[in-house]
Amino acid sequence: MTQTKTPGSSVHPAALMYAEEHRSGKLSRREFLTRSTALGVSSAAAWGLIGLQQPARAQDEPVEGGTLRMQMQTKALKDPRLSDWSQIANFYRGWLDYLVEYQNDGSIRGMLLESWEANEDATEFTLTVRQGVTWNSGDPFTAEDVARNITRWCDSTVEGNSMAGRMGTLVDRETGQAREGAVEVTGDHTVVLHLQDPDVAVVANMTDYPAAIVHSSYETGDPSEDPIGTGPYLPAENQVGVRQVLERNADHTWWGTKVYGGPYLDRIEYIDYGTDPAATLAAAESGEIDATYETTGDFVEIFDSIGWIPSEVVTAATITVRLNQNSAPYDRADVRRAVQMAVDNAVVLELGYNDRGEVAANHHVCPIHPEYADIGPAEHDPAGALALMEEAGEADHTFELISLDDAWQAATCDAVAAQMRDAGLNVERAVLPGSTFWNDWLTYPFSATEWNMRPLGVQVLALAYRSGEAWNETAYANPDFDAALARAMSVADAEARSEIMAEVEQILRDDGVVVQPFWRSLYRHHTEAVHDMEQHPTFEHHHYRWWMS
Amino acid sequence: MLRFIAGRLATMLLTALCLTLVVFFLTNLAPSLERVAKTQIGARVSDAEVESWLNRNGYGGPMLARYGEWLGVMPGWTSAAEDGGLAAGRCLGDTAAEAGAPRYCGVLQGDWGTSTVFRDEVATIIARSLALTGKLMLWVLVVMVPGALVIGVLSGMREGSRTDRGLSTLSILSTATPEYVSGVVFIAVFASSAVGLRWFNGSATSAMEQATFTNFTLPVMTIALYGMGYIARMTRASMAEVMTSQYIRTARLKGVSFRALVLRHALRNALIAPFTVIMLQIPWILNGVVIVETLFNYKGFGWTLVQAASNNDIELLLGVSVVSVIVVLLTQLISDLGYVYLNPRIRIS
Repeated sequence: MTQTKTPGSSVHPAALMYAEEHRSGKLSRREFLTRSTALGVSSAAAWGLIGLQQPARAQDEPVEGGTLRMQMQTKALKDPRLSDWSQIANFYRGWLDYLVEYQNDGSIRGMLLESWEANEDATEFTLTVRQGVTWNSGDPFTAEDVARNITRWCDSTVEGNSMAGRMGTLVDRETGQAREGAVEVTGDHTVVLHLQDPDVAVVANMTDYPAAIVHSSYETGDPSEDPIGTGPYLPAENQVGVRQVLERNADHTWWGTKVYGGPYLDRIEYIDYGTDPAATLAAAESGEIDATYETTGDFVEIFDSIGWIPSEVVTAATITVRLNQNSAPYDRADVRRAVQMAVDNAVVLELGYNDRGEVAANHHVCPIHPEYADIGPAEHDPAGALALMEEAGEADHTFELISLDDAWQAATCDAVAAQMRDAGLNVERAVLPGSTFWNDWLTYPFSATEWNMRPLGVQVLALAYRSGEAWNETAYANPDFDAALARAMSVADAEARSEIMAEVEQILRDDGVVVQPFWRSLYRHHTEAVHDMEQHPTFEHHHYRWWMS
Repeated sequence: MLRFIAGRLATMLLTALCLTLVVFFLTNLAPSLERVAKTQIGARVSDAEVESWLNRNGYGGPMLARYGEWLGVMPGWTSAAEDGGLAAGRCLGDTAAEAGAPRYCGVLQGDWGTSTVFRDEVATIIARSLALTGKLMLWVLVVMVPGALVIGVLSGMREGSRTDRGLSTLSILSTATPEYVSGVVFIAVFASSAVGLRWFNGSATSAMEQATFTNFTLPVMTIALYGMGYIARMTRASMAEVMTSQYIRTARLKGVSFRALVLRHALRNALIAPFTVIMLQIPWILNGVVIVETLFNYKGFGWTLVQAASNNDIELLLGVSVVSVIVVLLTQLISDLGYVYLNPRIRIS
């Protein structure tokens, strides 16, 4: 590791405080790691702060070479900042690197950034760019590249650019572009970010899949057409819906080999088997693939039974059965709360997701998030739900719950609908195929949205529930909530932030915004020959780690 | 004869024109266009963004004009960039305006357009998928036709015998089982560890590159069995009818052996009806291909059709429709011509 800092010398003061909290049992190890690495402490140093050695990863010596075939939907590539599917990113991840990477243990580690540091109140971040990195075109990678990419992300005038929302504190609201002087290059390898408001999540946001770093010659469109990047692979084949193949770039020395080791595989083939897990199973039994992208529902057990190796990760990925507040009768909080009260989240977890996860409490902040505040389980009171609904005068209303025709999402909605019926409400279910569902899904009054996890709890809340946000399909707009969340995002201190989060969570739940029944565990299966291919909480594929025996 | 063929080709053109117009109309309804925009720029975009994207990408004009653009009788759309130059256009390609780009670029000019889902030339995709389906169809015909004829002749030559009853039951059973049932049953029985036989592969994805007995048997059998029963029944009926006719009785009385009777006298006449049925079965196979290719994840013509339809990929869907019309009408034409050849009593003038 190239980390120069030693614990206790130049470490962010908040990280020292977190370490203290961890020792006194107020913070779990995972929370501690996410919080302190988000502030710029390296993961080795973070482990050191709590008196532990970072666990060594692979026991076996990795073998070079080999071809790995993996089931994955192969989607048409887009400008990275516009990407809306993890699958898209997992292909261009072969030749495009990221600034930072979210680890399975909850920490964030530097990739193209060597380190980063936040000031006291999280309004200024100093990013140190890794030295000795080159593009596969031969150009050196510098601070200018980092600044240019961050400025690209900030351009909110580009349709569908979701990075603009993540970089909100750098964007000038007037012009929709990066604020003058917000991204400052102070040396060949240093960039300083000046945030408008405090935002502890700015580096954590850079782990997200649209945040791939592109070359200065890239404008927009399919990045595989002229694949200049810093990564170790190159796209060899790109047949959307059929196959996408990555091949080791023999002419390029990847910076990561001497930092993190790898890559080991010569070739990675992504093969598309559609959305039906039965087709994936048939492919696995036919020996056409070595690993699945994700194994869901009953198929987890089936894959176990055919002798494949499971890999499980507990995450803050979830589904929200949400009510759109722009349409009656969901514009009234009583109606929404009655829906919440009718549903026992534990039952939904059992029926909808085979009990493979943790029960959630309708406020979309997960116990593994650093800022989680326990405000108790969600209230389950069917009789009360009916009473509340009668009071609101909507007891005779027929609710239509629309979901995607996808095994566990449909089952989850079925479980919610069944419990609402048990409580005495009229519920109809509509299960739509992807081709029709996605067209209008944002406008369905009562439907379900799948959410991937983000390292920090405030990140999802800011994306999903702030007034007027692009991804806010609940149409929730509550100035109190916005204000409380803004306060939470400015506080680096754990205890204080957690207290504010208790308030934020309570507002969100009292307003009955979503039925958020459970946190999903994610699964992947692979053959015995595949190694170091753990499922990742946000579905990221870290190709350089994978190897085959 | 030539007039007959010319007439048929004209029908083909007219049918293709009408069908593409219908497909174009349906795929260009407002919600369908919205879906195209959303798959292109992301599922979470606003209506205003959809609108602006559609206008910038040539979906803004009146529907008939755009159909004309696709045909190549109207000049292709262009949209202006902020600096006044051309930003994009139907005939310009991905990059900025190239000097000397043609004004017209439609089917008449040999340009079938670009698929929005696969991001590739429609002609390339259709050629690729037709080649794959051709391979599948070839093996289906190789299994189905001889199989069906043998079963049909065997059961038809002695009507009412035990062989006839047995084979008839089998062929009715196979033709009464649709592909989506037999395919699933085959996968469960022969390919999964649920039953444990695992003789064949339940997925034909690897057959796209290298078809083997293991990975290609199930899809081929699934389609072939369905058609086989039907053709066998037709052959049996035709054979049974021929066997009762006067000239067969005469030949019999002359002392021709049963073997020679069937092979030399009965067979040719008995094959006229099945020939038509086989040719008409080809469009049906194409139909079965849609189900089987999706089920076995074999990315041929049927799979492409499903993907194009479910993603509202306008130009790909139009290309697929034209090819389908050609396949259906061409096989009918061949069937009519072959009928004349086999049956001298029929004349086409």
